[in-house]
Amino acid sequence: MARYGMALDYKNCINCRACETACKAENGILPGKDNYRIWIGQKEAEGEWPNISIVSQTYHPSQCQHCDNAPCQQVCPTNATYYDENRVVRVDPERCILCTYCINACPYDARYVDDRTVTVDKCNFCSDTRLANGETTTACQATCPTKVRTFGDLDDPNSEISQLLKTREYKQVKEHLGTKPKLFYLI
Amino acid sequence: MKVEISRRRFLQGSVALSIAGGVSLTPSQIIASAKAATKPEDFGKTKKVATLCEMCVNKCAAFAYVRNGVITKLDPNPHFPKSRNMLCPRGNCGIAAIYDEDRLKYPLIRDGEKGSGKFRRVSWDEAYSYITEKLVKILDEEKDNRSTVAFCAGEGMAEHTFKNFYTGFGSSHFLNHATLCLATTVSGYSLTIGSYGQADLENAKYIIMAGANRAEAILTPDTLDLFKRTRGRGAKLICVDPRFTNTAAKSDKWLGIKVGTDLAFVLALTYVAIKEEIYNKEFVKNNFNDFESYKNHILSNNYTPEWAEKITGIEASDIYEIAREFMANAPRAIYYQGRRTTWSKNDFQLRRAQALLTALAGSIDTKGGICFGKKIPIKGHEVPSPLYDNARGRIDATEAAVVGGSGTWVGFRNKVLEGRAEYPIRALFNYKHNPMQNMPNSKKTEEFLKKLDLVVTIDTMPSDTVLLSDVVLPECTYLERTDPLKVFGGIEPAIAQRNKVVEPMFESKPVIEIMRGLTKKLSKPLFEITKKYDEEVQDMIVEDGEKSVFEEEFNLAKAFESSQEELNHHAVSDYEGAAEQLEKIGVFYPNMDRYFKKIGVNDYEYYPEDKKFYSVRNGKLKTASGKVECNLKSLAKKGIDPMPTWKKEYELEIPNGKFRFVTGRHAQFTQSGTANNKMLLDLVPTNYLWINKRVANKLGIKFGDDVEVVSKVGKTKIKAYPTEKIGPETLFFIHGFGNYSEDLTLAHNNGGRDAEILEDGIEPMHGSTCLHDTIVEIRKV
Repeated sequence: MARYGMALDYKNCINCRACETACKAENGILPGKDNYRIWIGQKEAEGEWPNISIVSQTYHPSQCQHCDNAPCQQVCPTNATYYDENRVVRVDPERCILCTYCINACPYDARYVDDRTVTVDKCNFCSDTRLANGETTTACQATCPTKVRTFGDLDDPNSEISQLLKTREYKQVKEHLGTKPKLFYLI
Repeated sequence: MKVEISRRRFLQGSVALSIAGGVSLTPSQIIASAKAATKPEDFGKTKKVATLCEMCVNKCAAFAYVRNGVITKLDPNPHFPKSRNMLCPRGNCGIAAIYDEDRLKYPLIRDGEKGSGKFRRVSWDEAYSYITEKLVKILDEEKDNRSTVAFCAGEGMAEHTFKNFYTGFGSSHFLNHATLCLATTVSGYSLTIGSYGQADLENAKYIIMAGANRAEAILTPDTLDLFKRTRGRGAKLICVDPRFTNTAAKSDKWLGIKVGTDLAFVLALTYVAIKEEIYNKEFVKNNFNDFESYKNHILSNNYTPEWAEKITGIEASDIYEIAREFMANAPRAIYYQGRRTTWSKNDFQLRRAQALLTALAGSIDTKGGICFGKKIPIKGHEVPSPLYDNARGRIDATEAAVVGGSGTWVGFRNKVLEGRAEYPIRALFNYKHNPMQNMPNSKKTEEFLKKLDLVVTIDTMPSDTVLLSDVVLPECTYLERTDPLKVFGGIEPAIAQRNKVVEPMFESKPVIEIMRGLTKKLSKPLFEITKKYDEEVQDMIVEDGEKSVFEEEFNLAKAFESSQEELNHHAVSDYEGAAEQLEKIGVFYPNMDRYFKKIGVNDYEYYPEDKKFYSVRNGKLKTASGKVECNLKSLAKKGIDPMPTWKKEYELEIPNGKFRFVTGRHAQFTQSGTANNKMLLDLVPTNYLWINKRVANKLGIKFGDDVEVVSKVGKTKIKAYPTEKIGPETLFFIHGFGNYSEDLTLAHNNGGRDAEILEDGIEPMHGSTCLHDTIVEIRKV
């Protein structure tokens, strides 16, 4: 029993996309440009050469926000999307009917159709491949060259993520929608 | 699968198989064959093996997970200080390298015109016999001039093993990537401050990174340390690059310099430091040799920022500011050495000037500067290195001022092609090297390879060079072999070992086994040739008897008698438990049991701060004088400037409507070696031509349009990417795409090929290539 979340020191991100490959290998995601659980959002640099604005070019690593108040879970007609005992938003392939309501409901564009499991799937914090085996990292956190991610239990006041959120400023994405996301972008 | 092949052979006799064509396998067939090799007792269990990555040159530590004989996942191995605790995108995609359907699977002998791609499958023994027969003929005709056979190798841990074969063979010609990559920067720094060193990016406060692109051309631990600290978090990063790279995006200041003018920029920084007397005076007083000459040279040539502005396009005010900030941060200010530094004719001088500027700040052999670190001593093993009286010297020795042990590749190739060699070069042994892709002007490389009587290539993939070979020997991938362990010296030194994860697939073998088989076959017949022509050897035989001379000196197989595992055990036998630990966790260093600690969810401590090797030289550098060398007078005799000097000829005219072409890398690709990697191509499917957006607009070129890039020597087709991240006079695309080989299903004809359009000029110091000196034009097609 835990309440897992992730803090992202996103300024460290160099857009190398190791996290994407690690995620695909770990979770057996099929090749294809639309098949991914995590991604790095980027904005093309602004300005005319050689006067380019350095700060305009940003890399924003992202994935399912594992909202404590998840719109995708609320709209799911079959309860295929559910919270597990660690408050991780999960998808049950047996129940998913591919209605895609969740794709429309998710404000973060975190869901995709997985042709392998025939499910509208998403990041599950490596729950089945790692957490179930007693590990406490995700594939994306472990592989990252510049250590963007810190994964951990938000309910444990002594966890590294709890300490980070106590000592560092952070922002959350589309917080105003009331989704209560559990991804925290450290400033 | 084996049945299928043997049936084919049975029905059709000796069939000309294209390398992949006849043996095309689906991934599921490959996986099935891997599973079939699993021992019953291992079924259902997950095995974890410590390996070292070979997807690029860094050799990051990784753990491979194996289930039922199949590698299911590669994860970072946190024990290795060099790679910290990470695996980059390419490292993660190693699985796609071992399970690539297009892999070389069996030994092959050419069975058609050279370059036709027609080969017949042979046994290892047939391949060895064929090579022996050809070599005997060649060496007999060349009267045992061993240097008629050249050896070339790509970078890698087993290069060492291949080199043992070269040493025993007795040729003068070893060629590798050095002059296509880092020769000028390694020697520029070595001759100036004693060694190339390691930039301590974990502690530096001010870093000028010019041309090097550590956010995309990942280097460990540099990349890992640096980008946690830029943007007001401890280190100020000045990025100087004609392109706005990912490194530029993470820097504190980016300067879009004109291609090939970096030397003028560094000289102007030096001018400000000396003129304003803001350099580290105490360090210069104690550690510089002939500073007065350099000072006078810089001042009398008037290398002012205003002068440099006209050449580099960088504003004088920026140069003043950076020079002052650099010196204000001394001795934790670094002008980053760079790695692939085959840019222009002045590259060696550029690296000298960078080293001297860093030394002016005193950032040498000190925390936060360029450190030399420590090595961990290990035991070597003896290999035969016989002397052959008729082996002649290098043919490329006079193609540049200083030609080292790895030659000047382009100088060598061109001399052979132009018929200027003092004696014929007739054969080439090639290990894991792809000159068709990695050398400029690939038409010449093709002609060169076709001209040779025998080209033997050892590789894992059917590269463009493999297609032009006579004999192809399939090496297994890095995940299927144990390689020579390696000492990684540095601030936090360690020994690391690549352990075999799964058995070699198909009939592929590790190099040590290939060398063992080959030398067993050819040592004796080649000795017979030596006996025939070598008077020294004839005398030795009279004195000691033939058997003893052969066994003691000329039996090349002796170098490969022991297994790699035995050799590795022997190498670290002075350290108790080291061999076992290297097999288990892949890494060892003295006191690791006490020093190595996990300190956070992501972070590990490898050495306590006071045990790190930041300063090791005690004021005496490894240069000729023991000091920083300002004035290398001995080079003047060879026509090389003794001090970095700007010359008018370095200013390359770009005619109207034309462009200067530059090449490089990104983080999801490692040269042509990863060109066929399914997982990486999933991230970035092809390369694009960077062209300035305003220029593209004028030419009516839009994103994704096909354009042809044409130079004096060739042309290539590629899709356009108009962007403001590149200047109007420059074009760029990633190296390694656009492969000819049809047997690389995914890489074949995918994207633009720089080797086709690059001109093949070399710089005067080491004969390194000049990859940024080509003028091109473009056409929409």
